[in-house]
Amino acid sequence: MLCVRGLQRLKAIFYLPRNTSHRSLTSAEVLPKDDALLKVENLSRESKKGCMLCNVTVDFKNIQLLSQFVSPHTGRIYGRHITGLCGKKQKEISKAIKKAHSLGFMPVTHKYPEFMKDPRICSIKHLD
Amino acid sequence: MPRYELALILKAMQRPETAAAVRRTVETLMERGAVVRNLENMGERLLPYKITKHNERHSRGTYFLVDFYCAPSILDGLLNHLHRDVDVVRPTVLKKEEQEPKSSGCGPSQ
Repeated sequence: MLCVRGLQRLKAIFYLPRNTSHRSLTSAEVLPKDDALLKVENLSRESKKGCMLCNVTVDFKNIQLLSQFVSPHTGRIYGRHITGLCGKKQKEISKAIKKAHSLGFMPVTHKYPEFMKDPRICSIKHLD
Repeated sequence: MPRYELALILKAMQRPETAAAVRRTVETLMERGAVVRNLENMGERLLPYKITKHNERHSRGTYFLVDFYCAPSILDGLLNHLHRDVDVVRPTVLKKEEQEPKSSGCGPSQ
């Protein structure tokens, strides 16, 4: 059973070069390849942006900044897929929040009410 | 000497008593051979959660930050002393990292 499927995949690979040989006959279809190369260059330029905290030092004393990465309902720290931070900064924020919790600077199960009106950085929709 | 930071939370008291407590703490530090570099008052605030210390439930406190240089051997005795102090709600000594302004770009380095 598996051998049959493997053979089918091999056949698919062998059939592809035949199709490209058909395309190379016309000159009009060679141009799109150059556009594809240019698009690849642009992608590498976009990824140099870095996350939003690129040049910001993260400190446990700055609880207003830390509170922006915490849920207002439960006080839980948001994950990387929600904050959109890079690995280094996400770890720094997480460590600073836990430090602030244990030092008695930041509340654990909620957020200070004065920080509730801050602009929402994290891409999470709240049912308000 | 390594550099430390004392995040001190004192009981919510009147101004002269708070001043006396801070003076006491700094004098203790200096007696043990520490060099106090900076003292910051972050004001009196509502604590993030109620803290029970010395048989008392605290809801408000005054936050102080003491920057100092000292030998690592005195820290144990210092923390012991601070925990015994009735006016201190939560003493924490942290190591201060030497932050050099190197390239802090967290994007792909090239």
